[in-house]
Amino acid sequence: MTTETLLEEAVQLIGDKAGGQSVPEPGRIDLTVEPARLLECVNALTTAHWGYLSAITGLDLGPQDGHLEALYHFCQKAAVLTLRVSLPRDGAVVPSVCGLIPSATLFERELMEMFGIVCEGTPDPRRLFLSDDWPQGVYPLRKDFIVPVPANRPEKGTAE
Amino acid sequence: MTGPHVEKFIVPIGPQHPALKEPAHFEFSVDGETVTSASVRFGYVHRGLEKGAENRNWAQALYLLERVCGICSHAHSTVYALGVERLAGVSAPPRAQAIRQILLELERIHSHMLWVGVAAHEAGYDTLFMYSWRDRETVMDILESFTGNRVNYSANVLGGVKYDLGPAQADSILSGLDYLEKRLHYYLNVVNNDESFLGRTRGVGTMTTEEAENLGAIGPVVRASGVHRDLRVDAPYLMYADFPVTMITATAGDLQARFVVRIQELFESTRNIRALVEHLPEGELSVRFPRKVRAGETVSRIEAPRGGLFYFIKSDGSENPFRVKVRTPSLRNFMSVIVGVVGHQLADVPMILAGIDPCFSCNDRTVIVHREGSDGSAPPSESDSRKDSSSWSKP
Repeated sequence: MTTETLLEEAVQLIGDKAGGQSVPEPGRIDLTVEPARLLECVNALTTAHWGYLSAITGLDLGPQDGHLEALYHFCQKAAVLTLRVSLPRDGAVVPSVCGLIPSATLFERELMEMFGIVCEGTPDPRRLFLSDDWPQGVYPLRKDFIVPVPANRPEKGTAE
Repeated sequence: MTGPHVEKFIVPIGPQHPALKEPAHFEFSVDGETVTSASVRFGYVHRGLEKGAENRNWAQALYLLERVCGICSHAHSTVYALGVERLAGVSAPPRAQAIRQILLELERIHSHMLWVGVAAHEAGYDTLFMYSWRDRETVMDILESFTGNRVNYSANVLGGVKYDLGPAQADSILSGLDYLEKRLHYYLNVVNNDESFLGRTRGVGTMTTEEAENLGAIGPVVRASGVHRDLRVDAPYLMYADFPVTMITATAGDLQARFVVRIQELFESTRNIRALVEHLPEGELSVRFPRKVRAGETVSRIEAPRGGLFYFIKSDGSENPFRVKVRTPSLRNFMSVIVGVVGHQLADVPMILAGIDPCFSCNDRTVIVHREGSDGSAPPSESDSRKDSSSWSKP
């Protein structure tokens, strides 16, 4: 089956549940999905055994834009289908997909601690990568998180 | 334990491991000897590389991302370079693509051989461990003489590669591969026929085709369960369309099948490298690459030794990446383990964990460099060995 027919098949499965549709590059289709309809879409894909959840990408479009995005990438052969869920920067909540894809728990834990996107109903909300003493409510992959420079780092040019 | 009041008993493993030389913390809930649930905690070596990439320009990020992994470093820099080049509308010359592919396959050989050793050690078969790590030095020497480094070869630049492959290099690669191929036959014989080894691998950690598919496992793990999933074949990149590899699969889905699949893949790699070395395209090694990359998003994927490596790269048209998302194959496979391990015996857990080849860094430099005027027969002086070894491996 060619990549194009695979993508067509996916669009047939969930196209009616999604909003906008775009083709960012050959072999890919992006579908915009409302948070409330995410599980419906994922369910349709997993029921039809279309691909596997390859990654969940968090994306911060910056404080000016005011939006975060969660991108659910499903891969099947060379085809990549991305469900784009746009969320407000304050109070970003998506339903957990772990009920349908149990192994997604690690992706969701990473998404939660790095971007402050709450995956509602996720079985294990503990941190995955960040240390236990990392401050609450600080999300390092958001654009307004500036990496602090250690106090003892020498100025540029003064080091030997 | 029976009766109405059954307590959950948790066996913590890690972060310091007797088995895996990688810091990760696992918690296995057990009922008697049977695992009932599993969870994991990473981050002991988290370095914030994704954030770091956003604070560097496109070229600097290449060197940063090469350091995501100490084993498949070239895979990371290649998947990033391919993605960024696609965004910029630049394509590396054919000779550069072939050299990238040669390095990727050499890296696969060293990675798989490292795993064969580690997994054999987990199985209590240290002879195979020592043999495979000794023989692995052949490919490490090839990589070191080719690029100057055992790991983090730094061979890629945006728009091509730095190192050319001359006739002398080609000869040393081909003779090294001849030796390795002989050894691979021996490994294959051991993993297929040695009774004590089979006792630890046959029927252990079995994942059926359906389970592997549903858990979304990738790489040799899923191919050992009979799922046809290999990006080199499914979505050929670099020169894999012209110099293809055959996808290796097995049906048993147990640890033994994972050994066989990985060793068979090494035969494919040696065949592929030979074809590339013998038909290396002529031409330039690199093309000019712009400072700024036009705005856009791309998904870049290649088949790293452990499975499909996934990068999502977004540019806002500036000199720095806007976002680089890295999803390593080990993370995807860890997920399949913590879900798939339920119902297995606790004693099999180390082997099941080792079976996915979780990635760990190998920073030591214990190779003895053949210096000019030395035929390699005399043992190195103490000062020599200190120069080339990390402190813990001092004789």
